Amino acid sequence: MVSCCSVEKVPEEKKESLKVIALAGNPNVGKTTIFNALTGLRQHVGNWPGVTVEKKEGIMKYREKEFLVVDLPGTYSLTANSIDELIARNFILSGNADVVVDIVDASCLMRNLFLTMEIFEMGVKKVVIALNKIDIARKRGVRFDVKKMEKILGVPVIPTNAKEGAGVEELKRVIANMAEGKITTNPVIPVYEEPIEREIEHISSLLRGTPLEEMYNIRWLAIKLLTRDQEVIKLVLNYLGPGKMDEILKHISELEVHYKRSLDIVIANQKYEFIDKLMHQFVIHFGEVKETFSDQIDRVLTHPAYGILGLLGVFYVLFKFVFTIGTPMQEFLDNTFASFGEFVAGFIGNEAVRGLIVEGVIGGVGSVLSFFPLVFLLFIAMSVLEDSGYMARAAVVMERIMRKFGLPGKSFIPMVLAFGCNVPAIMATRTLEDERDRILTMLINPLVPCSARMVVITFLAGAFFSDHKALMAVSIYAISLFLALLSALILGKFVIKGEESPFVIELPEYSLPSWKVAVVHSWERSKEFLRKAGTIILLGSVAIWYLSNYPEPIGSGLSYAEKLGKVFEPFTMLMGLDWKAAVSLIFGIIAKENVIATYGIIYGIGESEEALISLMQSAMTGLQAFVLALVTTLYIPCIATIGAIRAEGGNKWALVASAYNLMLASAVGVLVYNIGLLLGF
Amino acid sequence: MGKLDDVLELIKEGVRTSKEIAERLDLTVEEVDGIIKILESLGYVEKVEMSSSCQSCPLKKICPGSCIVFKGSLYELKKSDKKGT
Ligand SMILES: Nc1nc2c(ncn2[C@@H]2O[C@H](COP(=O)(O)OP(=O)(O)O)[C@@H](O)[C@H]2O)c(=O)[nH]1
Ligand SMILES: [Mg+2]
Repeated sequence: MVSCCSVEKVPEEKKESLKVIALAGNPNVGKTTIFNALTGLRQHVGNWPGVTVEKKEGIMKYREKEFLVVDLPGTYSLTANSIDELIARNFILSGNADVVVDIVDASCLMRNLFLTMEIFEMGVKKVVIALNKIDIARKRGVRFDVKKMEKILGVPVIPTNAKEGAGVEELKRVIANMAEGKITTNPVIPVYEEPIEREIEHISSLLRGTPLEEMYNIRWLAIKLLTRDQEVIKLVLNYLGPGKMDEILKHISELEVHYKRSLDIVIANQKYEFIDKLMHQFVIHFGEVKETFSDQIDRVLTHPAYGILGLLGVFYVLFKFVFTIGTPMQEFLDNTFASFGEFVAGFIGNEAVRGLIVEGVIGGVGSVLSFFPLVFLLFIAMSVLEDSGYMARAAVVMERIMRKFGLPGKSFIPMVLAFGCNVPAIMATRTLEDERDRILTMLINPLVPCSARMVVITFLAGAFFSDHKALMAVSIYAISLFLALLSALILGKFVIKGEESPFVIELPEYSLPSWKVAVVHSWERSKEFLRKAGTIILLGSVAIWYLSNYPEPIGSGLSYAEKLGKVFEPFTMLMGLDWKAAVSLIFGIIAKENVIATYGIIYGIGESEEALISLMQSAMTGLQAFVLALVTTLYIPCIATIGAIRAEGGNKWALVASAYNLMLASAVGVLVYNIGLLLGF
Repeated sequence: MGKLDDVLELIKEGVRTSKEIAERLDLTVEEVDGIIKILESLGYVEKVEMSSSCQSCPLKKICPGSCIVFKGSLYELKKSDKKGT
């Protein structure tokens, strides 16, 4: 891109004398690329008057002649529905452009020609079509009979591959010649069904003879009136007066009754059909239109049943990848922190300070930090899933399930966002129109494990399930998601469903993820993990250390932590969790990673990794660890999430959500523990 | 009725991906996506930003990136009195 570096302003006097070339087209067709190719470095970026839409101008040189090139905003049509459309439309209408270059994307020509027809209908004659991205069209098996296309459309067509610069010289030549009046054109105008044409003629007859005829194309005005274009109605009202306007509006209403809907869609349909017929004459498809690789994968991944298995499978692979590569690194870091702790301990004489630093800070924060490689890999995997286009498929699968469980379809947005963090996810419930739908979605949202809980799950899976780490992690996910859906089903019984406006999802093509993007993105996300370790987890660790060592050290039965934990122990023991787990869960409310920090401190990570694990393994069975992971995932949401629910739904729902989650976690914990015992785990 | 109507009708019926719409109408996905874009510019459907809550998240400053990115877009039927008749 060359656009960044030049702010060379075009002097006003010079502008006046130059012929003006306007670039129009759909978004993303390569307008900017062509603009750059035409103007080189000689360009200026500003704003369109009165609005913050970017306006690019530049000078194109062809055989010693200079032309002023203006890049219009990309639009799909020229209605008055958006600022971009109005800017493009008014610029073309004003007659400021000596030549309009309509850039169309050859790989999806249909929608592009829709805009072309709108330009033609405005009565603009000097139009050149740049048939861009011709390379992509060719790859997809589409050829164009350009000569025929020119004849049928009535304007010059220049195939281009702007990315490579192919065709640009020819485009310049044609533009220059047209600007100098050396090329005559005869743009094709869409023809509509008889009732529409009759009304266009009727309105046109009323407009003829007025000053409007001098300024605008009468047919265009008539068509726009039929579509009830507010801008045009205002304009025409000024010249015709309310009497004639009423007559026109009456006719329009009759026609709307005839077609049983607004005429804008009727006209758009007919225009579309008109283009369809034209295209058949100059577009040649060769080769079978075969199912693409993307289609084949989607047949499985968005399948109603396999899709769910696919989703779990993808998560399994994700964890497998993370554990396989990450565990050795994590162990290494853990041991490093332990040695570092021992090393530091040698320098600190004061026993209390030494305890605080070595056991509290290094032990607590270190045990969380040692997960950095796993977290980073998790984020890499997530990023790859996003970049490849899989997340959109996951969304489709989730959407279908959500609807089955009585949730509004669009609640898949907060549900998928929750895999990252519940806070923006809760905020995203705003996209749901209905209050009750919103509350329902908010209540079950915390049940989706966020990335912080992913860390805890990873920790416990790593410590207790040496052979089946990934399986254990995925089953926690599966159970949580299932409970979220079940909750929706149950809670949904108590709320009356609201109306939801239908929607449609466009799936992106699968693409090979870029490693660079993945690494940069994951680093961004991991930084947050590091920051959290340095703040909330650090403070939490210091607090946990204090509570575990005062007034008497842990094990004496007198420390605050033990006392606190023992209060809850009778209850948590129902699910096999001792006071240590109870304490860790309490600290986990602040940030779920604190669950790990607590274990790090209580079991003294001053010991090495193996020592910690063997200590923990002697204190907890696999079943207990599984229950702990599950309960950590399900119980009271973290403080930030409760805050988000409060902000979106008020105190009442924040309380209900916390209470509901706590109850659910307890019930599930007790159930899973006892079933597990029965099964002999 | 034309193709634009057909697509609009299927969206109303609850068909949720442009791919399924394409299969039902025997069109290519690109064509359906194109029609949706035209419907958008005519004001019949509206694009919903799926990750916009991440931009307005109060934790954005301290949490730069836990947001899941969907590629792909969601278009919602616009509830307008003029349309939908
Ligand atoms: N393959 C191919 N890609 C192109 C061509 N022209 C533009 N592009 C790419 O299409 C994308 C959009 O181009 P841009 O000029 O920003 O489009 P704009 O939105 O219309 O201004 C960019 O990634 C370009 O590199 C082309 O002729 N062939
Ligand atoms: Mg551009």
